[in-house]
Amino acid sequence: MPKFLVLYKWTLDEQDIKIKSDDLSLDASRAKGKISDFDRNAIEEAARIVEAKGGSVDVLTYGSAAVKQSLKDVLSRGADKAYWIADASAETADAVVTAKVLAAAIRKIGPYDVILTGEGSSDQFNQQTAPRVAALLGLPCLSLVHKLDVEAGTVSVTRKLAVCTEQATVSGPVVVSVLSDINKPRIPGLKQVLGAAKKPNEEIALGSLGVSPADLQPKAVRRSAKGFVMTRKNVVFKDANPADSVAKLVSSLVSEGLF
Amino acid sequence: MSDDKFDAIVVGAGPAGSACAYTLAKEGRSVLLLERGNSAGAKNVSGGRLYTYALELVEPGLYERAPLQRKIVREQVMLLNERGATTVDYFDPSFGADVPQSYSVIRADLDEWFAGEAEAQGAMVAPGILVDDLIEEGGRIVGIRTGDDEMRADVVVAADGVNSLLGQKAGLFPDAKPQAVGVGVKETIELPDDVISARFGVKDDEGAARVAIGCTEGISGGGFLYTNKSSLSLGIVFNPQQAGRQQRHIQDIFQDFKMHPAIQALIDGGTSIEYGAHLVPEIGFHGVPKQLSREGLVVVGDAAQFGINTGVIIRGMDLAIVSGLAAARAIVAAKQPADVGALYRQQLEELLLIANQKAYQNFHGIFDIPRIFREYPNLANDAMRFLFRVDGKTPKPMLKGLLETVKRNVSFGRLAADGWKLYRHL
Amino acid sequence: MTGIFLFSEDPVLAKQLLTPALALKGALDQPITALALDGATAADLAALGADTVLLLQSASGWVEGLGDAVTDLVRAATVVLVGGTQRGKHLAAHVAAKLDAGLTTDAKSLAIEDGKLVTSRILYAGLAVGVEELAFPAVATIPPRSYPTPEAAQTPGSVETVAVTDDIRVTVTGTTPTESSGVDISLANKLVSVGRGFRSKDDLPLAEGLAAKLKGEVSCTRGIAEDEYWLPIERYIGISGQTVKPDLYLAVGLSGQVQHMVGARESKIIVAINSDERAPIFEAADYGIVGDLYAVLPLLTAAITS
Ligand SMILES: Cc1cc2nc3c(=O)[nH]c(=O)nc-3n(C[C@H](O)[C@H](O)[C@H](O)COP(=O)(O)OP(=O)(O)OC[C@H]3O[C@@H](n4cnc5c(N)ncnc54)[C@H](O)[C@@H]3O)c2cc1C
Ligand SMILES: Cc1cc2nc3c(=O)[nH]c(=O)nc-3n(C[C@H](O)[C@H](O)[C@H](O)COP(=O)(O)OP(=O)(O)OC[C@H]3O[C@@H](n4cnc5c(N)ncnc54)[C@H](O)[C@@H]3O)c2cc1C
Ligand SMILES: Nc1ncnc2c1ncn2[C@@H]1O[C@H](COP(=O)(O)O)[C@@H](O)[C@H]1O
Repeated sequence: MPKFLVLYKWTLDEQDIKIKSDDLSLDASRAKGKISDFDRNAIEEAARIVEAKGGSVDVLTYGSAAVKQSLKDVLSRGADKAYWIADASAETADAVVTAKVLAAAIRKIGPYDVILTGEGSSDQFNQQTAPRVAALLGLPCLSLVHKLDVEAGTVSVTRKLAVCTEQATVSGPVVVSVLSDINKPRIPGLKQVLGAAKKPNEEIALGSLGVSPADLQPKAVRRSAKGFVMTRKNVVFKDANPADSVAKLVSSLVSEGLF
Repeated sequence: MSDDKFDAIVVGAGPAGSACAYTLAKEGRSVLLLERGNSAGAKNVSGGRLYTYALELVEPGLYERAPLQRKIVREQVMLLNERGATTVDYFDPSFGADVPQSYSVIRADLDEWFAGEAEAQGAMVAPGILVDDLIEEGGRIVGIRTGDDEMRADVVVAADGVNSLLGQKAGLFPDAKPQAVGVGVKETIELPDDVISARFGVKDDEGAARVAIGCTEGISGGGFLYTNKSSLSLGIVFNPQQAGRQQRHIQDIFQDFKMHPAIQALIDGGTSIEYGAHLVPEIGFHGVPKQLSREGLVVVGDAAQFGINTGVIIRGMDLAIVSGLAAARAIVAAKQPADVGALYRQQLEELLLIANQKAYQNFHGIFDIPRIFREYPNLANDAMRFLFRVDGKTPKPMLKGLLETVKRNVSFGRLAADGWKLYRHL
Repeated sequence: MTGIFLFSEDPVLAKQLLTPALALKGALDQPITALALDGATAADLAALGADTVLLLQSASGWVEGLGDAVTDLVRAATVVLVGGTQRGKHLAAHVAAKLDAGLTTDAKSLAIEDGKLVTSRILYAGLAVGVEELAFPAVATIPPRSYPTPEAAQTPGSVETVAVTDDIRVTVTGTTPTESSGVDISLANKLVSVGRGFRSKDDLPLAEGLAAKLKGEVSCTRGIAEDEYWLPIERYIGISGQTVKPDLYLAVGLSGQVQHMVGARESKIIVAINSDERAPIFEAADYGIVGDLYAVLPLLTAAITS
């Protein structure tokens, strides 16, 4: 019976991040946290397989003190147990640091048959963590998976790439990143939300992982992050009669020399 | 605390629900607080002036922990016509003394905070849960349904807001009658703290609350403007039926209001960070259903149509909190669920909520005078214009001029009739 | 020896990578080593300015499985550039991990500043642009069509073949090429882009008719391709899809979420047709019509001939 570990990231909801008009800096003061969108698909996939065939789903996250807020949510989505690493280093962590910390934690709490991640995190969308963690743990990695089967220690997947779809199999432990179209994540019901309160969660002290201070120094250091502002003409036609709007639009496009 | 039955299930984490859950949990009752939004406050649209006394009733000093914006020391009334605005500004520092009378608040923050306080007291808070039915057995309400899940409790508290689904399911009242509810739209406009303080002539922790009449194109209703720390809550509340008859879109009326030179000057340079529309209980006590409970169910806050809208005062949050508190006290005092209803009534009386509502009960009658929303604001501005205009010509005799001004707007017969009506309603 | 290394399994992209590689060579004064999977590409890369080309002899040719092999070949690298295809990004992440190196995904710009690789890239799905500095060795993936193919070099480089070991733990049991409509939307200079505002696949002709009149193509949002399967994946635009820069981008019945717009916002003119005047697309558009696409599209299509 497969033991799953799903890696999930607690990210800021980008919809609440405002761009300051004066210096284009980002204002995340009103931004709420959320489970990175595609990680919900990863959790859902593990939960469905376990509900059908048995097994277990643990989840693991590394973030700032705020990750504690994610526990109730993640445990209501089908996870059995949540491990969390809360450390300020996460604020500046790049994919190098993140993968090292996660790999170290997995060595401690593992082994697992299948380690799942999302295709990419909603904030960074590095698409690096799955291959990196696999490389550090010496496991094979199957990315961009939109169909997953686990049968007697053999993992069979269909990967969806722009150029082709690809079937692949691995026997033994593997790291898998899933696409958002692999499933529709459940919306937790009351019983699941209440049940979450009774499920176990365990904090892992970063200090207990034998990760050196040097390992916590990012190799990719953020210099700046500026809001992207598009200056567009924003001419909007809303005549009661659409034909009038269309006429105005066409003449505008003509004057733009488009036809 | 068992998870398959609670002493009370509170549906809706608005001010009413959180106040109720907070009090029940504090009294050691097992409470489940359900909210359909992904977090408390996520789904709420509201102006944001909270009268502090309500939080003081729940627990003295509680307001000091709340995320409050500015204490209101300037009460302003604005009479608008297309050309200009006549503003009455009442400044009263005592409104800001010791326990300030009222604060501007941002609802999303307030609701999240209040639900958090309830949780800290031991209430089980479950967001993202839409309650879609009640469980009824032998004529008693014994729990709620959400999706495929059921949950039981001795008492269900319907704090689910204006046109309450649960109240309807329980058959307590037909769904909100169009004339009984107003529709409100609100926009939050961001501006630097110091700009706001300067524009409204207040210190940095002080604020102004302004209502505007004459901004709804003759449609029964009014506008409001509250100063938050670094944003303004600007909105209008009005009668959707009349608007419908005049084929006017909420957004358009609101846009025109925003564009009025007197309002523009106040919001100029700001960036809109939030916009929403919502219903409001409009007609005060007359709207409150005769029956506020059934065995196993009590209705609180907007769900019970508690609301006072005098045109110069919009109140709902405080009444919601007080009614939530009343329900909680009733549930605590009750020997068995059957007693809750009567005790709730009694608490409402003791907490003066009914009295409050009655005091204003006929106020809405004034809104039947259509001229309130166009002719009279116009009259006020014309009169001002007459008084202050200097163009070098020989001015008309004062009285004659004023009388003409009045005539231009309303016939004396109407004026007398309206005056009488006003007198009667007050 | 230190150096600049580059790899892409996509021959066209591999050649494009030479352009930034040559710039880096100028800045770092280090040789360029290109890795290739086939002889023809190897020869091209040598001709276009790679000092050395290593022709990898991979049995399986499964790019994602070449991580360890490539790592061994690029150990000495100062900078490694990898073509930002899906396979390329997977490979790059593995190599970066093995090199204990930072990796910028989909770098929009590259520069050398005081001994560091300075890159810019998109954050928060397009809401912001982040600048980061990477210590050497540094890895970056470069999206297709970011750079032109360079001119032929005066002195072509040399080609060596190297045997490499694949990741035998993974067995690829089958591949089915996505039936390509033969359309590359990134080349179209007019696009009609459809979103969830379309009620059914049967309504797509509305957009196709307009696209035909405009001599353009039809593109879409992610949901239309990935959830509804109304259009091939290669047609969807955005952070996890294609990036396009047409003269005219006509967004129909799509809300204009940043994850989508990031792929289209470099278009010359953006036009929005949406029934909800508060849809974010209108802020991202030069011209917009607030209205029902089912009413507007036929009128617009008709208006364009006349
Ligand atoms: C534009 C506007 C301006 C206003 N300005 C003011 C003001 O300045 N001062 C003032 O005191 N009052 C004001 N009010 C009135 C005030 O907002 C309300 O009276 C107050 O919010 C009532 O609180 P409540 O808890 O009863 O209901 P609500 O605040 O409406 O809370 C109800 C909650 O229940 C949840 N819910 C509903 N149905 C379900 C369900 N089936 N399952 C689960 N959850 C559910 C909702 O999501 C919501 O969170 C204003 C209202 C509007 C619209
Ligand atoms: C990490 C991540 C990556 C993502 N990557 C991508 C990506 O690469 N590409 C992408 O496209 N999305 C991506 N998404 C999804 C993206 O966030 C949006 O959800 C998606 O783009 C919305 O698609 P849509 O506009 O078609 O649908 P909606 O957002 O539902 O918009 C439909 C619009 O149609 C309008 N409409 C409805 N009916 C009519 C009518 N009759 N006439 C006119 N207008 C009408 C509505 O007003 C609405 O604005 C990503 C999301 C995440 C979290
Ligand atoms: N800090 C983190 N903690 C746990 N999982 C993470 C973290 N960061 C990334 N992941 C996982 O790695 C996936 C890809 O992230 P990224 O490489 O940042 O695009 C995410 O979808 C998560 O599943």
